[in-house]
Formats: sequence, C-alpha cells, structure tokens
Amino acid sequence: MTRGRRHWPVHFALALISALMLVPFYWVLKTSLTGENIFSYPPSLLPHEANPFYFVDVWYAIPFFRYLINSVVVSIMVVVANVFLNAMAGYALTRDFPGKAATIMLFLSCMMIPFQVTIIPAYLITAKLHLLNSYFGMALPLMSTIICIFIFKAAFEAIPHSLVEAARIDGVPDWQIMFRLIMPLTKPAIATNVILSFIWSWNSFLWPLVVVRDVNMQTLPLGLSRFLSVVEDTTGALYAFCVMVLVPGLLIFLLAQKEFIKGLTSGATKG
Amino acid sequence: MRWSWLNNRFTVTFGTIFVLVVIWNVYISFHDHGLIEGRVVGSDGAPVAGATVTLSEQTLLVNQQRGKTTTDADGRFKFTGHHMHRPYLHAEKEGVGEFGPRQFPLYFQGEDLILKQPLELTARTS
Repeated sequence: MTRGRRHWPVHFALALISALMLVPFYWVLKTSLTGENIFSYPPSLLPHEANPFYFVDVWYAIPFFRYLINSVVVSIMVVVANVFLNAMAGYALTRDFPGKAATIMLFLSCMMIPFQVTIIPAYLITAKLHLLNSYFGMALPLMSTIICIFIFKAAFEAIPHSLVEAARIDGVPDWQIMFRLIMPLTKPAIATNVILSFIWSWNSFLWPLVVVRDVNMQTLPLGLSRFLSVVEDTTGALYAFCVMVLVPGLLIFLLAQKEFIKGLTSGATKG
Repeated sequence: MRWSWLNNRFTVTFGTIFVLVVIWNVYISFHDHGLIEGRVVGSDGAPVAGATVTLSEQTLLVNQQRGKTTTDADGRFKFTGHHMHRPYLHAEKEGVGEFGPRQFPLYFQGEDLILKQPLELTARTS
C-alpha cells in the first residue's frame, strides 16, 4: 500500500504524457466520426453526432478493397522474404569467414545511403527484369533490410555455441540448424522483423508511386493521394481514410508488441 | 495441445474478423434489394396523395437525380433497385408544402430503407 502511494505522482505524470501523445490520434478518430471542420473555434473535445458514414463514403469513393488487397499482398511478400533472407544473412554473419569485417562495414555504410538516392538504378533494374507494375516489383526493394539482418545476428549470437556445435557433430546440415534449431529460439527477433518490415511496406509510398502504372495496382498510400486529388475539402472522409489505412498496422503491432519489445531489448542486458 | 493454435491471439483476432466479415456480407445479401419505402403526410399528420417524391444521389463524386414517383391514396411511395449509399429524398405538393431535400445515409449501397418516420410536408415561407 505504501509503495503504491509513493509512486502515484510518477504514474500520474506518465498517464498525462501518454494522453497528450495520443491526442492527435484521438483527434483523427473523432473527426472521422463527426466530420467537423478542424479549423472550427472553439474546438470541441467530445464528438457531437458521431456516425460511421464517412467510412462508407471512402469505401465507395475509390476502389478501397482493391487497394487493400494490393497492400496486403505486397506486405505479405515483403514480410516472408524479410524473415527468410534476413535470417540467412544474420546466420552467415555469426560464422567466421574471410572478409567478414569488411562485409559488416559494407552493410553499415549502406545503411547511411537513403533510398531516394538509389531509386533510379532500382527502377532501371526492375524495368530490365520486366517487373514494373507488378506485386513482385513493388516488394523487391523491401525484401531485405540491413537493420533486421543485424537484429537476427544479435539474436543468433545469444544462442549458446555448444548447442550449434552439438548439432553439427550430429551431422545436421547448416540450413536445418538454422531453421529447425536456431529460429524457434529467436521468436522475439522474428516478431521484430515481421513488425518492422510490415510497417515499412504498408506505409511505402515513393517506390510504388514510381513502379505502378495501372490504377488497379495501387496500394493504400497511393490510393490516399489519389483520393486527395479527386476530392477536396472532405475532412471527415479524409480522416476516415487515414483511420482505415492505420488500423491494420496498429493491429499487427498490438498483437506482436510483447515479442517486438523483447526482440529490441534482448541484447540490452547481460547475464 | 493439438488444438493449442486455436488459442493463439493471432488466430482469435483474425478468426473473429473473418467471422464478422462473413456475417456482415450475409446480412448485406439479405438486405440489398435497393428498396426505399415511406409515407408522406401533411402538417396535420394526414396522408398526402399525389405528392411528388424525388430520389437523388449526392456523394463525394456524384450529384444526380435517380428517380421520381407520386404517392398513392395512403400517401405511400416506393423506389426499387437503387444502388446508392447516400440517397436524398425530396417531397412536395402544390398547396400543401415541401419536405427536404434530406439525406438518409446507408451502411452499404442498395440497402433497403423503410422509413419509420413519415415525410412531413410543411409550407415554406418565401
């Protein structure tokens, strides 16, 4: 009882700061339900005459379901490829081989190059491969990320070497060691990889804008910009669209947040 | 142990979403005949026969008349086969008054709409 009373000012301050951080999200949700002008004064904190009909407007104003399917397909391809490719790269970086230090330095230096700088060569390669205006073409540049490779590397290095050596002595091949022995022990790293790659692919705008030619192949961020260009001054419908785009990413994060936090903090403490 | 995957939060969440989507689509399939039915009454509550009722569509992209009919002896009117989610109704009869245009937002295109409240014609002062 005494301990709880001692900590209430801290909890109160944290709750207040959290509420302040959530105000923009609450405002977007409130406006999507009421459609009130964001410049109205005085601003009302509580929604008046809330209704879900702006969401219905968005559903029928643009091919929302088609854009949703496109985003889901591309995101699934990106997530699966990320987990598979990053795990293999992370495992390779835990082994000793000639040029390992140079490879790690190369990866780290590539992290400093923004994607916008490489967009022209990426487009030319995608065009040569005849992957423009396709799901694979949209997913290709996002199929591996260096940050996630290092997350896997850190998670694999935390596994005792004796376990891996014992499997090797038993004649287990490397790919089985990785997928049947090591991967099941690194669920936080997998969850982190899934969440990060899903959010990056779901919110990706520039690359799909460059690659997509057909209106029916657009993803949700492109659909949002198309919605803005077609319809003006539609605060309620615009915010409803924003909520509909945000919800899947939020849902994935909420479902996997425990493993995500564990994956990010697994190397923070020793022993 | 064998069915432990059913207890997984991903399975429960996405399974619930799937079930809700199926239930919603089944509901839509039973209620999407595009029917709009209602009654027109005067300010005294008496049904108004021969009133002109106009159905129009006004959405983010469209502003167009979709139908016109007149009320029967009981003041009833009916539209069928609409494909709108934001229908507007306007009723008028010379010498009696006018109603609307007023919006009746729907949850999906072609939803059946049986008006619980009649459309009351009121005299408009110019």
